Order: sequence, then C-alpha cells, then structure tokens
Amino acid sequence: MKEKKKESPFILLWSWAKDYHGGFYGSVLLAMLGVAGSMAAYFSVAAMIRILLTGGGLDACVPWCLLMLLGYVAKSLCSAASTALSHRATYHALRDLRKQLLAKLSRVPMGTILDTPSGQYKTTIVDRVEGMEPTLAHLIPEMTSNLLIPIFIAVYIFCIDWRMGLASLATTVIGMTAASQSAKTYAVKWDGAVAVGRKMANAIVEYIGGIQIVKAFSQSAGSYRRYADAVEENAAYYKNWMKENQKFMCIMQTVTPSVLLVVLPVGLLLWSRGSLSASDFMTVIVLSLGFTGPFLAAMSFVDELAVVGTNVGEIGDILQAEELERPEKKVILKDRKIQLKHISFTYGKEDEQVLNDISLTIRPQTVTALVGPSGSGKSTIAKLIAGLWDVSSGSILMGGWDIRDIPLDQLNQQIAYVSQDNYLFDRTVRDNIRMGRLDASDREVEAVAKAAGCDSFIRALDQGYDTVCGSGGGHLSGGEKQRISIARAMLKDAPIVILDEATASVDPENEAVIQKAILALTEGKTLIVIAHRLSTIADADCIVVVSKGKIAAQGTQKELLESCPLYARMWQAHIGTKDAA
Amino acid sequence: MFGVLRKIFEFAGSKKKLLMKAMVISFCGAVFAAMQFGALMFALDQVLSGQQAGMLPVIAILLISVIGRILCFYYSVNEETEVGYFMVAEKRIHIGDRLRYIPMGYFNDNSLGNITAVVTTTLSEVENSASRCLVMVVGGFLNTLALCLALTVTDWRMGLIGICGIMVYLFVTEMAQIATSKTGPARQMAQIHLVEAVLEYIQGMSVVKSYGLEKDNDQMAARTIEESCKKTLSLEASITPWMAVRQLVVRGFSVLIVVCALVFYGGGTMPLSRCLLMLIASFILYQELESAGNMSDTLQMLGATIDKANSIDDTPVMDIDGKELAPKDAGVAFENVTFSYGNRRILDGVSFTIPEKTTMAVVGPSGGGKTTLCNLTARFWDVESGTIRLGGRDITDYKLDSLMKNISMVFQDVYLFQDTIENNIKFGKPDVSHAQVAEAAKAACCHEFIMELPNGYDTVVGEAGGSLSGGEKQRISIARAMLKDAPIIILDEATASVDPENEAELQAAIDALTHDKTIIMIAHRLKTVRSADQILVLSGGQIVQRGTHEELMKQDGLYADFIGERKEAMGWKLA
Repeated sequence: MKEKKKESPFILLWSWAKDYHGGFYGSVLLAMLGVAGSMAAYFSVAAMIRILLTGGGLDACVPWCLLMLLGYVAKSLCSAASTALSHRATYHALRDLRKQLLAKLSRVPMGTILDTPSGQYKTTIVDRVEGMEPTLAHLIPEMTSNLLIPIFIAVYIFCIDWRMGLASLATTVIGMTAASQSAKTYAVKWDGAVAVGRKMANAIVEYIGGIQIVKAFSQSAGSYRRYADAVEENAAYYKNWMKENQKFMCIMQTVTPSVLLVVLPVGLLLWSRGSLSASDFMTVIVLSLGFTGPFLAAMSFVDELAVVGTNVGEIGDILQAEELERPEKKVILKDRKIQLKHISFTYGKEDEQVLNDISLTIRPQTVTALVGPSGSGKSTIAKLIAGLWDVSSGSILMGGWDIRDIPLDQLNQQIAYVSQDNYLFDRTVRDNIRMGRLDASDREVEAVAKAAGCDSFIRALDQGYDTVCGSGGGHLSGGEKQRISIARAMLKDAPIVILDEATASVDPENEAVIQKAILALTEGKTLIVIAHRLSTIADADCIVVVSKGKIAAQGTQKELLESCPLYARMWQAHIGTKDAA
Repeated sequence: MFGVLRKIFEFAGSKKKLLMKAMVISFCGAVFAAMQFGALMFALDQVLSGQQAGMLPVIAILLISVIGRILCFYYSVNEETEVGYFMVAEKRIHIGDRLRYIPMGYFNDNSLGNITAVVTTTLSEVENSASRCLVMVVGGFLNTLALCLALTVTDWRMGLIGICGIMVYLFVTEMAQIATSKTGPARQMAQIHLVEAVLEYIQGMSVVKSYGLEKDNDQMAARTIEESCKKTLSLEASITPWMAVRQLVVRGFSVLIVVCALVFYGGGTMPLSRCLLMLIASFILYQELESAGNMSDTLQMLGATIDKANSIDDTPVMDIDGKELAPKDAGVAFENVTFSYGNRRILDGVSFTIPEKTTMAVVGPSGGGKTTLCNLTARFWDVESGTIRLGGRDITDYKLDSLMKNISMVFQDVYLFQDTIENNIKFGKPDVSHAQVAEAAKAACCHEFIMELPNGYDTVVGEAGGSLSGGEKQRISIARAMLKDAPIIILDEATASVDPENEAELQAAIDALTHDKTIIMIAHRLKTVRSADQILVLSGGQIVQRGTHEELMKQDGLYADFIGERKEAMGWKLA
C-alpha cells in the first residue's frame, strides 16, 4: 500500500461529497440571501428610529415596514430552502458513501471481514455515516450564515461609531475568554468522562451478558453492586465536571448576549458628552442586540467539529483498507492439484507469525487431514487455500496457477468451504439451499436436502421449504442450520471440499445424521479436513501434523504413530478419553 | 411538545422535585434577563427628554440583571444536569434490579443484546440530551414569557400581542410534530432495514462469495440504502416547510409589534420612548423561543427514546415472595410438571425423584425439553402447573437467593467476565482466600495452565495473553462451580470438546465437581450416561423411558437407538 499523507478530515469529507458540491454551494448561497434578508430588517428598524427621532411622519415609516416584512419573509424562505437543499445533497452523499463502503468491503480479504465483529462494520456504515449529517447538512450552510450576520452587523456598527463598535464587542470578548477557560481543562476532563463511561459500559455489558451466571451464582452479591456503583459513578462524574465547567459556560452563555451591559453606559456617556447622536445611539442598540444570537448559534457547532475527526477516521480506515487483488480473466486449470510452496502468514501488522515456511502437496481426490493442538495454525492453512487471505510470503498453486492469479469466482467454484458457522439468509429455506446453484430445480433442491438429512425437519416446519429462516437463520437450531448449509454446499458440487471443524457445533443427537450427509458431500472429491476427533481421520491418505505454525510431520496414521511423537501423544490422549460404550 | 416534556418529567422519578426547582430558578433567570428592558427604558427616557439623570441606575439595573442571570442560569443548569444524569442512573439501576427477577428464560442473545443497547446507548442519549433539551426548551419558553410580561408592564396591548405570538408559535410547532409523526416511523423502519441489510451483507459475505452471488447481493443492499435515503429525505421534506412556517410566525409577529407600536404612537396612545423600546424589543423578544422551537425535533426523538427505555418494564417478573430457608436434604423432585413456551408445550406432566447424592442423566432428541427441565429446577422459569421440590419443599417457598445457594450450574456456553481469572473463579463467593481459589483451580485441572499465563491468576480474561481455549474456559467455569460448593449440580455436558487434547483434564474436573452431590445432567457421553443412577429419556416433553443403563438397554426404544447412534457417530470415519 502506498504511504498516504494524512489528510484533514474535513478535506476528506468534502471529497467524499464531491458529486453534490453544487447543492452545498446553492445552500450556502441561499443561506447568505437569508442573511441579507435579516440585515434588511435591521436597516429598516434603524431607519425608522431615525425618522421618529428626527420628528418624521409615520408615512415615512411605511416603506421601511414593508422592507422589514420582505426581508423577514426572504430570510424564512431562504433558510428553509437552504436547509432543504443541503439535506438533499447530504443524504445523497451519505447514500453514495454507504454504497462505496459496502463495495469496498467486498474487495478486502474475506479473512479481514471474518475477523472483525460485524457490529463494528455496522456501526461505521450506519451510525458513523449518519453522524456526518449535522456536519454536512447544518454546519456548512448554518455556520456560514450565523458567522456572516455578526460580522456584517459588527462592521455596520463600526461604520456608525467605532467606540460603540468596541463597546458592543465587549461582552462577547468576556464570554469567549470565559469559554476558553473551560476549554483548558476540557480535554483532561473529557478523557476522564470517556474512561468512566467505558467502565460503566463494561459493567453493564458484563452484568447483562452474564445475567445467567449472575443469577446462578450470586443473586444479590458483588456483580449487581458493581453495576450499580459504576452507574452511580458515571452520573456523579458528569455532575461534578459540569458543576465546574458550567461556571465558565454560564458566563459565556449569559454575559455574551448581555450587550446592553456595556453599550448602554458607554452610549449614555458619549451621548451626554455630545459626541454621539441620539439616533445613532438607538441604531447601535438595535444592531448590537442582533449580534450575539447568531454568534452563539455558530459557536454551538464547535462541539460538532470535534466528532468529525472520529467519524471520518473510521470511515476512512475502511475505504483505505488493503484489497485482495485478483484478475478478472479466467484461467485454464490443468488439474486440481494444490501445492503450498514455502508459505508464511502473519495477521495484519502483528509480528507474530501464524504460519512459517509451510510446504505441502495435496493430490486430487485424496483425503488430507490437518491435525495439531489448538492455535497451531491448522485452520489458517485451510483458510489460505480457500482464498480468505493472501499469504505473506511463498505461494499457493492450484492446477499450476498461483491462486492470486485465478479470478476469485473461479477459485470459489472449485472449493466448497464448510465451517462451524454457516450463515443463512433471511429468505426461505429453499432459497438458502438454492444459493449453492441458482439454476437448480425444486426437485434438485429437495433431493440434496434429503441427502443432507434435512428433508424431514424442513417438512415439519410451518411452511416447509418456504419457511423463512429469520435473519442469520435465527428461526432454526444450530444443528438445523448446519445441515442446511451442508445441503447448500452439496448442491454446489465443487471438486474440492474443505471441512473446518464442520461438526464441532452440532448437537450430538444429530451428529450421526450430519456425518452421513458429509460423507455424501465428499464422495469422489478432494477433501481437506480439520477434525477434532482423530479416529475420524485415521484412514486419511495423508495426515499433516501442524505445530506452532510449522509442519511437524506428515504421512499415514501408521507412519505417524511410529515417527511422530507428538501425533502418538495426541492419539493416546484421544484413545484414552474416547467415548466408547 | 408538552407531551414529551411531561414524559421527561415522569421519567425523572425521584428527581421530579429537583426538576421543578430547576424550572422555577430558570424562570427567575428569565425575569432577571427581562430587567435589562428596564435599564433600556431608563436610558431611552433620558435620551428622549434630553435630561441627563446619570448612569448609575442604568448600570445598577444592568449589573443586577446580569449577575442574577448568571446565578440563576448556573443553578438551574446544574440542577438540570444532575436531574438528567441521575434520573438515567436511577433508571439503569432500576432495570438492573428488575433483570434479577425477570424469568431467565426470557433472555436470549437477542433480548440480551436489546437490553444492553437500551441501558448503554439509548439511555446515554437521554442523559446527554434530556437536560440540554430541558434547558433550551423550558428556558427559552420562559424567557420569552418573562419578556412578554415585561412588555405588559409597559403597555398591556403589546404584551398581549407578544403572548399571542407565543401561542401561535406553539400551535404551529405542535402541528408540525403531528405532520412529521407520520413520516417519522417510516423513516425509522427504513433505518432498521438498513441495519439488517448491512449486517446480512457482511455476515453473509463469505457465503455470497463462495457461491458467486455478489451481483444479487449488491443489488439488495443498494436497494435498501436507496430506500433509507428516500425515506429520510421525505421526512426532511415534511419537516422543512414547517420550519419556514415557524420562522414566518415569529418574524411576522415581530413585524406586527413594530407596526402596532408605530400605530399606537401615531394614535397618541403610546409615548415615543415606549414606541422605540418596542421597536428594539421586536428583535429579541422571540429569539429564545425560536431556539427552543428548533429543539422540538430533538425533543420528539427523546420522547421515542424514553418510550424504548420504559418498554423494559413491560417484561414479566417472577413472583419472588419466598422465605429464607435451608432445605433439609438435597433431593429434587418433579411432580406432574407442565411448562409451555408461548403456545408450544415443552414439558407435559413430568414427574421424577432424585434422591440426595444420586445422579440423574437426561437424554433425548434435541427440542425434547432437556434444557427446560434443568432451567425449571433453578427457577429460571416458573412452572405452568405441577410442583418442583427441593428437600421436600416447593421451590417457590424459597427466596430466590436461598434456592440458588443450593444449586451450581455448569453451562455448555461458558461465560467468563472480563475480569481476572481469580475473580472469575470466586465469582460465587467473593470473600474466599487465594489459597481456596487455587485449591478449586487445582481440583478443576486449571492451576497448571493458569500459572503459565503471563500474570497467573491476575490475568484478565479476554485481554492480550488471556485468550483461553474453549476447554480451558470450561474448566475455569467448573472451578467456579466447585468453589461455590452447592449440594446440587446441574450440568449441561459439553458436546464435542473444543480442544480435544485437553479432554482428559476436563473429564477429571467434572468428576471432581460432581463427587458426592445430587446431579442432574444433560448427558452426551456414553460413559457418563452409563454410570448414572437413573436415566430419563425425554421426548416431546414427556418421559418415554426411565431406568438404569442396563435396564434400558434391554428394551427396544429411543434409548437403545440413542446409544446405537452415539456409537456410530463415535466410530465415524471420513476416510
């Protein structure tokens, strides 16, 4: 991956929305028109005050009243239109961004996706993207207009009388100084708040997630107390923090808008000395009152700015993730032989090598078993063959081609990978099985279901084959899901089958049925199997003993019992606990 | 708008009084704010009459106004923050407390995830925005009201117009909420679908890829994203016109105030100084009301959030008026126990007796009611009819705590807390010594591997270095049960051991735990089934066979089939 310079989150965000910049410009323009409308109202009232003070007739005020009304109507309509426009642009941009994120995920190594909790992706794609709405839709037009109004007014006041200009800015300066005081401790306190919040979240997750244990072990003791304490602590922290923080925030919130505090005395002084006319004085009062509201509103967006970095960062991480690169053009495989040549593998940026210089040849239509202690890397070998990740070094060849040079869908056609967790979609049972081969007829689907030992329980479901599985297959038991996914894999009829502890999560009542299904699935295929019960694979053509990321030995059961002490030990342990009646 | 405010108020629980106080103080602050009109009037009078009456009174009024405002604001905000955070804390504790009395069976991964989300995320939204909303909405409204009252003091007609403005504004805001309440739920549904679609896209990706179905899947996801965008925009489209209407109302009344002031002045019923005051007031009168109105959407969301948090109260609670009792022995008996889950009958007239210190193994097809039988014994559910007895007494006579003292459960899905291994083991008995913990660990065959961990017993489970294999976790959970030392053990035997190389240790641990206890076990291993004092074959919620292994093997039936199948499964060979 190219080393990229870290861009400002705002630039990144703005670049993601590039197709809708027009909408944002339009919305800013409308917001500015709205500002002009507001300003018109101020001018009008200032003019009317001048008329009244100089003894002008009420008739002269009529046009100004109309202008004021017009200005306000323009302001109301323009700001609504501005919001509408910016929302349109924003939500379209967010929609595109979401599509882009999903498309990106389909290009990163499958292993990365399996290793990341899906909740995390969901948070990024749904919540974080949504979290940019205030920034794009509101901050851009509203902060612009809310900052422009005070600037225009300030300039206007300074034009009337620079001393009054200074006077009307005085409270804002005081307010900002106070706010900056609170900002000083904010970062530290915020970190504390995050820590307390996390502690509470952990206590909650633990208490609720472990409620079964809580109930079974200590109905009223420790853990509930800990939960309650963490909750109280969180509330108390915020209370104390706010108490301290509010001192300054209160000054900012109340002093800033109290412009009269300085404007009135200074104005009176200047007026009494004769250096400020009554009408200018009045005008300044009007203007200075309209100054702080928008300014405070603009300031309220500052909090918004703080979270932009987090949101944009998370989204950027996905968009910039490394991709699994595969060619489009199909290749001609000369056979189904799989060769691992000096492969090593390291997850992500961790330095611990999971596999280290593994070489192995798997001949077509043979059974190869990968065995070894947990954490030895046997499952990783299977996943690398299935193309879930790319090797860190070395190469895996299939039919003479490096699998990195085989298009992903072609490789996938060759391999059926059956693991413990097999996802079912929230569609009918029939559709879920048919995913194995879309053009399979109903009869074929049912035939394969029968072979996988699921026909009878499917028929017992409320709607039979047309029963909807629920999201993630939630309406079915683990064993049922397993059997349906085996049926799906059978329908695919791929020449290479990888069984990665496929029966480990199956309930024992159904184990025999599933085993039969698997035998049917694997007949005449190249089979790579990771099994926890050594007796299952005792007759494999080749047993590969994996230990600490290396191949310790390979051969038949008989050979290994003689030559490999590790295997002999594992076999003994297995025999010792073997559950025979 | 007021509906939601009332909801927040109800939600405040014991903090209601404080909330009231905060609102009263907030109103005082608004009165102080309105005082600056007095200063303004004073100044205007001087300027217009041309007589200098000195600045002191002006400065004095302004200072009082500002200082009063700061103090009131400070106190009311603090109180509102306290209300916000503590009412949520109260709710969290209330939910946590309630969870202890909700039947265990109510919980599954789904409902637990949902409750966790409510207690963390949903309630965090309430604590973060409820107080701010209150400050803004109530404060803004009161501020404008106080200003209107100040206007009334100067000229009642103007005050009346001002108050009319407030009423019309509130009316329009209410109308806007009614209008958007139709599109709101549609948008929410679209968002829920979006979450589901995204999750399905990610979780199903490996399947999709291995079957080459990317195109189909991409289209489905794209459609949902499109839908969510459309629904959100239509919600926005229904909100935006009302935004314009609200602004027009406020601005319209400002103009009306200016026009009326001019007309009254022209008609001679209002002095010039008052007229000027009104002109100036027209700018600030509705400022705060408007920002309050802008919060109304947030307020509506807050209302929905509070409803969601309250919905946990709808879950059923068990009747828990038991007594602190010690059973006279550790025998367990079911008498004609029936239990249904929804419309489905899970157990149907089940009776059996387990004498003290004997073992009963339960076997049978999945869905036959084995797990339910265990859960009923521990009172995770209450029976529908029939009685469960411990030491001769109905288990509902016991207080839940005193019942659970007698029962240890070892589950198939091991749950360990993200805490040190030591604390996990002594979870049921927090005040035991380290020596006792180590003793239990040794008996459960965990001491050795624990000592090999970087921090030994202080290693935190789940963190770096604390990643344990399935079998190791299982043994820790057995040590935990061992330390509790309850006379009755309910054991859901692990099916296929997750790391076979440690199977012997696991077996030894279970043997140590179950020594000399009353045991109910869902058994999968032939060895354990064979050595049970009695075996119950459960199918379709009924006991179809019972007896010892030898007796049952002589009969044709489920048990013999089961044994046959197990043998077949164990002898299974792939190659």
